[in-house]
Amino acid sequence: MSGRKLFGHELTPEIRRFIRLAALAATVAAVSSILLLAISGWFLTAAAIAGAAGSVAAYAFNYLIPSATIRLLAILRTVSRYGERLWSHEAALLAMAGLRGRLFERLAAQDSRTAPNLSGGDASARLIGDIDALEDLIVRRPTLLASLIGAATGVAIAAFAGWRAAVMLLVLLAALPVSLRALATRLTREPAREAAEALGALRARYVDYAEARAEIVAYGLAARVEQDLAAIAADLDRANARLFCGEGAIAALLAVYAGITAALVLATATASAPRVALALLASVSAIEAMAAWARTALRQARVEAGLRRLADLEALPMAPPAPAPSEAAALSLTIGGEHLAPGARIAITGRSGSGKTLLLQSLAGSRPDLFDLAIGREPIDTVSAATIRAQVALSPQDAPMIAGSIADNLRVARPGVDADAMWQALHVACLDERLHAAPDGLDTALGEAGGTLSGGERKRLSLARALLARRPWLLLDEPTEGLDAATEALLVERLGGWLRDTGTGLVLVSHRRAPLALATRSIAIGDVPRLQGRMSSMPATARKA
Amino acid sequence: MFALGVAYGVSALVGAQRPEWPAIVALIVGPMLRGAGVYGVHAVAIREAQAAAIDWRRRLFPGLLGGRTGRALLAGESATLAIDHVAAIEAYGARFTPARASAVIGPIVVAAITAVASWVAALIMLGTMLPFVIGMILAGSAARRASERQLAALETLSGLFVDRVRHLPLIRHFGAEERIARQVTAATREVAQRTIAVLRAAFLSGGVLEFFAALAVALIAVYCGFALLHMLPFAPPEHLTLERAFFALAMAPEFYLPMRRLAAAYHEKRLGEAASEALTQALPDAPVAEVQPARFDGLRVAGLAIDWPGTRIGPLSFALDPHDFVALTGPTGSGKTSTLAAIAGQVTDIAGAITTAGGGALDPADIAWAAQRPLLLPGTLGENIALAAPDATPDRIAAVAERVGLGPLMAARGGLALVLDHRGSGLSGGERRRVGLARALLSGRPLLICDEPTADLDADSAADIIALLAAVSRERAVLVATHDPDLIAAARIEVAL
Repeated sequence: MSGRKLFGHELTPEIRRFIRLAALAATVAAVSSILLLAISGWFLTAAAIAGAAGSVAAYAFNYLIPSATIRLLAILRTVSRYGERLWSHEAALLAMAGLRGRLFERLAAQDSRTAPNLSGGDASARLIGDIDALEDLIVRRPTLLASLIGAATGVAIAAFAGWRAAVMLLVLLAALPVSLRALATRLTREPAREAAEALGALRARYVDYAEARAEIVAYGLAARVEQDLAAIAADLDRANARLFCGEGAIAALLAVYAGITAALVLATATASAPRVALALLASVSAIEAMAAWARTALRQARVEAGLRRLADLEALPMAPPAPAPSEAAALSLTIGGEHLAPGARIAITGRSGSGKTLLLQSLAGSRPDLFDLAIGREPIDTVSAATIRAQVALSPQDAPMIAGSIADNLRVARPGVDADAMWQALHVACLDERLHAAPDGLDTALGEAGGTLSGGERKRLSLARALLARRPWLLLDEPTEGLDAATEALLVERLGGWLRDTGTGLVLVSHRRAPLALATRSIAIGDVPRLQGRMSSMPATARKA
Repeated sequence: MFALGVAYGVSALVGAQRPEWPAIVALIVGPMLRGAGVYGVHAVAIREAQAAAIDWRRRLFPGLLGGRTGRALLAGESATLAIDHVAAIEAYGARFTPARASAVIGPIVVAAITAVASWVAALIMLGTMLPFVIGMILAGSAARRASERQLAALETLSGLFVDRVRHLPLIRHFGAEERIARQVTAATREVAQRTIAVLRAAFLSGGVLEFFAALAVALIAVYCGFALLHMLPFAPPEHLTLERAFFALAMAPEFYLPMRRLAAAYHEKRLGEAASEALTQALPDAPVAEVQPARFDGLRVAGLAIDWPGTRIGPLSFALDPHDFVALTGPTGSGKTSTLAAIAGQVTDIAGAITTAGGGALDPADIAWAAQRPLLLPGTLGENIALAAPDATPDRIAAVAERVGLGPLMAARGGLALVLDHRGSGLSGGERRRVGLARALLSGRPLLICDEPTADLDADSAADIIALLAAVSRERAVLVATHDPDLIAAARIEVAL
């Protein structure tokens, strides 16, 4: 990661300007901080000597410049620290906003069949963690250079006390990052790894038990479960305590290191007392500056795995933008050797767990094909993602909703959906009355996981969204689950009319009888040949239902 | 911890003197004492913080996993409460609490020690305190409250990125990549710009702190310098030697250091306080009023309604005879499991009445629960089946295991002595399900609740389980949640959510 680039992307001039400003401010802050203490020390000592020499010498002593400098430095340090913090955060925030946008574009342009799966909580949490770590690094980046300059200033000031003292300080400063790294490896790396492992184990075991909560309550097993968890928690606590004490030990040893440095500088100093005072205070500050540099460098090493993961995502191939999908001519589908002309309506039948949902997902291009399906007589695995989605609109079983309003979710279907079209689609889905009654109508907020809607309502909203997409084929997975018989009949009637009017084809999965009336024929999933050797690689959750 | 800063100060003082050996010793011993202090504070702080964390866990683990909660928590939510929030409280205890203590005591101790060398310098330190406090109040309170409100709103906005990343398959399916990408880019940019606006105000209080820290050093340096020159515009109130002056100067940065540490721990403070609040809410400590349970003579559910964020169910009304078979149906995610939990009395935020047929309180000890993915504890197969009936004889356990179809497994793998770990390694999903069913049957409880007993099973196993449940329903009340049409057909009635 160079100064001008972030994963090979040129940083914008705006961000580079902020980084430069922040680095400048950080340098001014570091140097003025050292100078403030050092000059104060020198001033005191020199003043004491002058004062002791009598009033003539005292009046000859130029006190105006040092005392004004001290005040100036105090103000300078304050202002530059403020500037450093603000500018470095500005640079980091803007750079990360750019990175998030680019990363999203790149991820969005992937084929769902091959893209990294980030829908799980763990994967997205890790992504956020990686981005935050990178942001933290950018915030600290300006201080890296400033710390080095601060340390160099310290050495320069120490030189006033004699070259031996300066060399001594230089050697000790150079040795600091090496010894700090060795210390961190010994004292914190192993406990940090153990703590992360114990935390992972505790979380995994806890989630297992949380999923079995009903039984734990019903049979009163809480005490046994707690005992089991407490053992893992104790491992975690031990590792955390070692880690925390390790940090304390490093801080303590740093203080000692600074003390030894000051002592050695004192021992090797050859100049007059004021200069030695100056050098002493400067060398302690220089050690602090160098330690800050080493800590930032260590932190960078620690988050490198995360940075590599981000770089891998950024390196994903960027497909050319897909053509506008809604105008494509309808193609035929082939399921289990049966050839379906555009506008055909079929039901996939089979008992629960037999893979009907997987078949719909394969047909929608959401996962690699398991069933030897074809679109336009071409095997679906070789058909481009753009072609697939120009043909099919899926209302999946779990009816996912993005956080936002009802309208936000409907607008996903197609560009330029207006309110009239939304209400029409909601009417077919039998959700219009319910939403007319809601105070915010289409602007009703859904929140995460669908919020205020019941499972059945979410299902119908997902159906309305699929209708709005106006694709030649509609794929429905249990569209009427959770509906009472009357609403179900109404929905089937309206949906039948809509299919007729638009000439849309239908592939339906439903264990309920009523929607099956929409299909003109059915295919038993047991008759559909499966591609061998694919099921074993599916995660357990995908095999459900 | 702070008093040890003195040693360092002393060393600096002596360092300016001519006799070098005591100075060098002081320069080394001082920081050693300080280092020992730092390490000691770390060791004590983490021990106390972990004691508090253990205390929380002792209440949270049984409460969240084995007690009644307001609403059914997702496993992930529950883990966030019991693990992540407890970690935040631990960090609060380990980092913020000692920082706060030293911010209260530290400055006073530093000023007191400085006063030994120069009481004027100590006065200067304390004198900067008053404008500092006023400055903090001006820069801090109002601006910070406003910015915190805005930060909360910003968190929602930045959550947009995560949400859209999670829904990428959906977005790709509808070809909405470009539109959503534009939205995400605009939103992230807005988050950045609004955050910067907030930081501008938030960093001000840090600036005030910096300013007074620098001012204290500058004032003491100038005062001491002029005093040493005998050029103070007023009669010197004390006799200042170089040692004393230097000592005061070295102590000056220490005065504001604890407050800077405190400011650095602000993040831990915020997270820790938010976590305590969330946990306190999650664990209502008021004990549930004990009601004398009635004998089970059937189940009556009247007007059961649930209204939680993300879940809305009911009102539902139905009844079960003592020997009965009812199927609760609804789409995935519609809240079948939550409804079962409500009936079993495991959640409290519900409306409606759940009683015995005679209208008495339902005894939790009358309800057996066969889960979709049953609990397994490290131990043998027999112990796991007998979790709900520890006194059961091996013969009874074996008989029940045979009845639920675990016979082939036991024959092949060493019977009831088969050793299991908590993940149930080596058991198929169906076998695990049967362990849960065996446990429920062995408990002998008159109401059997089954959550999706046939999901993911092959046709033959599913048919076996349905036949078994039908048989059990001739001796007990059986309530199943399912969307399997064959199982629904076997039930007496279907209750749709």
